Amino acid sequence: MSNDAVIEIRNLSKVYRDFWGRKKVQAVKSLSMDVKKGEVFGLLGPNGSGKTTTMKMLLGLLFPTSGEMTILGKPASDVSKNERIGYLPEESYLYRFLNADETLDFYGRLFKMGSAERNRRADELIEMVGLAKARRRQLKEYSKGMTRRIGLAQALINDPDLVLLDEPTSGLDPIGTREMKDLILRLKAQGKTVVMCSHQLADVQDVCDRIAVLFQGELKVLGRVEDLLEVRNETQIRSSSLSEAAISEIREVLKKHNVSDAVVSRPRADLEELFLRTVRESGERPGRRFTTEEIAGKPGGQA
Amino acid sequence: MDFDVAPFTLQSAAAGVLSWLSVVGILTFMAVLISFLLSVARNGAGGIGIFTKGLLSYLEDVGSLSPRRILALTNLTLKEAIRRKALLVFAVFAVLLMFAGWFLTNSNERAELQVGIHIAFILQTISWLLLPVVFFLSCWALPEDIRIRSLHTVVTKPARRIEIVLGRIFGMWIVTFIVLVSMGIIGYVWIVRQLPPEAKNQLTCRVPLFGYLHFLDREGQAAMNGMNVGDVWDFRSYIEGNSPGRGVFSFDGIDESSLVFGTQTAADGSGTVQVPGLMLECRFEAFRTVKGSESSIIQGVQAQYTLSNNPRETAFGLFAGSSLLRPVGSALRDAQYKTGANRLEEIAAKVATDSDSVKAGAEAAEVKQNDYFVLRLAAAYAADVLRTRNDAALTSAAAAFQKVSDSTNDLLNRMSEKSAEPYTALSAALTELAGVLTQDAETLNEHLPRLDVVLPSFHVAEYHEGSAQNINFVPRVVRFSADAETQSRSLAAVFEALNSKNQLVEGDALNPNLPGLLHSEGELSEANANLVTEVLSEQLTSGVLKVADGKLSVADGQRWLQYFDSLIQKNLLVSADSEGWMMERDLINDLTTDGRLRVEVSCVNDQMYLGMARPDLFIRKPDRAFLVGYTKALVSTALMLMLIVILGVTVSCIVKGPVALFFTLTFFIVGQFFHGFMQAILYSTELKGTGAIASAIMGAQHRGPSVGMDVSETTQRVVEGIDSIPRGLLWAFSQIVPDFTAFNAASGFVENGFDVPFAETVVPASMICLGFLIPCVLIAGALLKFRELESK
Ligand SMILES: Nc1ncnc2c1ncn2[C@@H]1O[C@H](COP(=O)(O)OP(=O)(O)OP(=O)(O)O)[C@@H](O)[C@H]1O
Ligand SMILES: [Mg+2]
Repeated sequence: MSNDAVIEIRNLSKVYRDFWGRKKVQAVKSLSMDVKKGEVFGLLGPNGSGKTTTMKMLLGLLFPTSGEMTILGKPASDVSKNERIGYLPEESYLYRFLNADETLDFYGRLFKMGSAERNRRADELIEMVGLAKARRRQLKEYSKGMTRRIGLAQALINDPDLVLLDEPTSGLDPIGTREMKDLILRLKAQGKTVVMCSHQLADVQDVCDRIAVLFQGELKVLGRVEDLLEVRNETQIRSSSLSEAAISEIREVLKKHNVSDAVVSRPRADLEELFLRTVRESGERPGRRFTTEEIAGKPGGQA
Repeated sequence: MDFDVAPFTLQSAAAGVLSWLSVVGILTFMAVLISFLLSVARNGAGGIGIFTKGLLSYLEDVGSLSPRRILALTNLTLKEAIRRKALLVFAVFAVLLMFAGWFLTNSNERAELQVGIHIAFILQTISWLLLPVVFFLSCWALPEDIRIRSLHTVVTKPARRIEIVLGRIFGMWIVTFIVLVSMGIIGYVWIVRQLPPEAKNQLTCRVPLFGYLHFLDREGQAAMNGMNVGDVWDFRSYIEGNSPGRGVFSFDGIDESSLVFGTQTAADGSGTVQVPGLMLECRFEAFRTVKGSESSIIQGVQAQYTLSNNPRETAFGLFAGSSLLRPVGSALRDAQYKTGANRLEEIAAKVATDSDSVKAGAEAAEVKQNDYFVLRLAAAYAADVLRTRNDAALTSAAAAFQKVSDSTNDLLNRMSEKSAEPYTALSAALTELAGVLTQDAETLNEHLPRLDVVLPSFHVAEYHEGSAQNINFVPRVVRFSADAETQSRSLAAVFEALNSKNQLVEGDALNPNLPGLLHSEGELSEANANLVTEVLSEQLTSGVLKVADGKLSVADGQRWLQYFDSLIQKNLLVSADSEGWMMERDLINDLTTDGRLRVEVSCVNDQMYLGMARPDLFIRKPDRAFLVGYTKALVSTALMLMLIVILGVTVSCIVKGPVALFFTLTFFIVGQFFHGFMQAILYSTELKGTGAIASAIMGAQHRGPSVGMDVSETTQRVVEGIDSIPRGLLWAFSQIVPDFTAFNAASGFVENGFDVPFAETVVPASMICLGFLIPCVLIAGALLKFRELESK
């Protein structure tokens, strides 16, 4: 196990049972993966694929049925790890009778923070998430996006080393989404580790260093975004300043090399394509994990 | 007053706490064991490790509790309750008070009743309004937190789950406290303003000092109970009118602080003066054998108090416990030491006979085992009382009594040996005691004085007369008509004193100034002083008295006490005053021994019975402000609500809101109404084979419970074992369910105008509350820690 792994997951499984202990659903199936220090890690997968479950197990909210995991070098059940963790739940589960200031103050008090530091941090965060105007209003009056923003602020109140974000951009407007992505990159620049789940594939594509794709609780794909999305055997040249003459010259050159009907470009598949393909293939060949090469080597539409 | 207060001792409290702790201990151990087994069953051998880790991490949580975090969570709970409008309960309170004002205030009622109704209304309203609020707050808050998952954001911070439990509990306590204090203040103001002016002076807090009650039966012998007049539910016992039957109340801890100021007619008959004294308050019940139709007017009942300081009763009263020993006790109590000695010799002879029988290998039949038990106790007690009087004249008697007790003890221990020796030894000890009593008879008589102060009889107010409250004020310096014993002791004392100063005689005759001296030095009125002088000069002339060396003495060498006793018995000293032989004694110095005062109650009327129970007569110490008792009653209510919070939060850690509410309510109802019932079942006399299975077997075998089942011993054991399970469960349950009645006692006192004794209400209530806090928090913390926070 490498030293710079912030999260290590080995053979993690989770079976949800009902009141009588009967098996309802296996949400996670022997999942193994690491998250390294300083990276932005994306957890992808269709609805119900076990992303949230995995995150909750990491946080000690749920207990794994089997398997091991450490987070910041401590077992998931150890509360003291929370000193250095920030968590934004899927939906912002906050106390709706508190206002933004009180919310941050309350969560701040759960950490070892002096009151001056707490206030400074709260001001900073409220400014950052753009709630300065609404800081004295009770959360029950907030819109979905505003709730999301205050949720993010509380997750960062302790200036955490590891941030777990469950669908951080859901409910945010395009500007909010943009800001969220900037924020994630800023956190990364500060050397923090970010783990996020998302359906907004474009967002993931923009900010994540590595991603894992889950399907029905199984890890299907794991790798660097660049590697996963690079399509090796094609070339793309894209420009808006090419004159008609230049284009015909290029065609000439291609013709000379016996290339007919070429598109002059070296495109990257977009993540959506990868995602859809993974899901489709997993449906056809369940239980199989795909290699980076396999995924990347197959141009869109061929699988 | 229809509520009785069980005397509370630290010992019984400690025993209660211990038994409760043991139940909690057993249950916790079982919980830990079960979770261990589950862990192993699920994870195989690895389960041991998982279990140990969990346990250790929980202990670590408990060890690293942070006041800062608990405070933050407390604050959160507080804000939640306030913002969720829990305080709306005030509005309801205000509306209720408004309406109640119209209905409750009825100036036709007696003031005392009105006060009671108003106080009861406020106290009941406060607790009934707060109960639902507290139930809902405590049972709903955590499950709701889990359901809407706001708890997720908290537990993913460094907050320990046990801190969440504590924060919840403390926060709700504070809410309860705020509401209760505010309602209390409003209620107080309301009571004071609502009451008509004439009822306001009834708004006090009487401080009762209750005593212990035993009885003297119609023969004047000590008994645990009086008579029963037929009503089995009556918790009072009755004494017969115009008989030696007495209700005897013994009060401890009487000293100057027990005195209050009361009015007394001035000595010169001009108006009244304020003097310190004891206030006795009683509420007795009369039972008449004459039917109302026979005498058209219901006759009033007269009762009489006798304040008695009687070391002989204390020392020898226990001999009444056995019919064999009773004559000994009677004689000794009447200061007839020689008669007592004769009776003892008779018993010694019986013991000696038994000794011979045992020697001959026969049964010892003269004295029963029960007699020995009584003898052992009574003699030891007599020895103890005599010893603690620290009087050298009593030491030999004390030692002789002790020896009898020790020999009896030895005999009882060795009874199965069938040896004659302990019998012989006891017989010797008894003879020796008889000897000492005969020899010391006069000394004992002088050193064990009985002082009986018979107070004037009074009319006992009864319920049908409107108020059953009887208050008698006894001034500290109490004037009373002395009985023969006190009279002769007083005379003997003054004659001894004057004689030692050679003031009794002048020449061969009595001192002509004697009447004046007797009046000024002794406790004699002028008329009685003249009477005594007259009688004594006659006696001197007739040679019963003689003069020698300037001193007067009895010719046959009798002591003054015996001499005056005999004069009084011959009716030679019947008081010349119409009032009687009046004397004054001090309540504290003369009538109490070690702070103990004995008040005997008798009924004067023929064909009537007077019923009384322990709380029916009490000494009223100086009153306290009404606010004191009122506050204590509110404290009791607060403690009850606090306990409900603890229970509700604990239960709600594992089940959802409605279920938690159901369980907590069950606890409350069972603890409130069935606690006594469960105790009754548990401590009912055990019959053989009353369990379900045993009864089924006996039913099949057509056998009754007195015969038992016809099965092998092993089967019997197994059946009994199984049958004891429900009983065990009931026991555990009755121990776990808090005794909620402990919280109600206080308001009863206040409504009846009494102060709330701390030791009997607030202390047990706080102990119950705190006793539950720690284990419940530990259990709740564990429940919350080892569950997944998913509500589906
Ligand atoms: N508390 C629960 N009890 C029973 N089954 C559950 C529970 N929570 C989740 N599941 C099931 O576990 C599986 C994984 O759920 P999970 O919430 O982890 O998915 P997800 O990947 O986060 O999905 P989404 O993208 O919709 O958020 C699903 O089949 C879901 O139905
Ligand atoms: Mg999810």
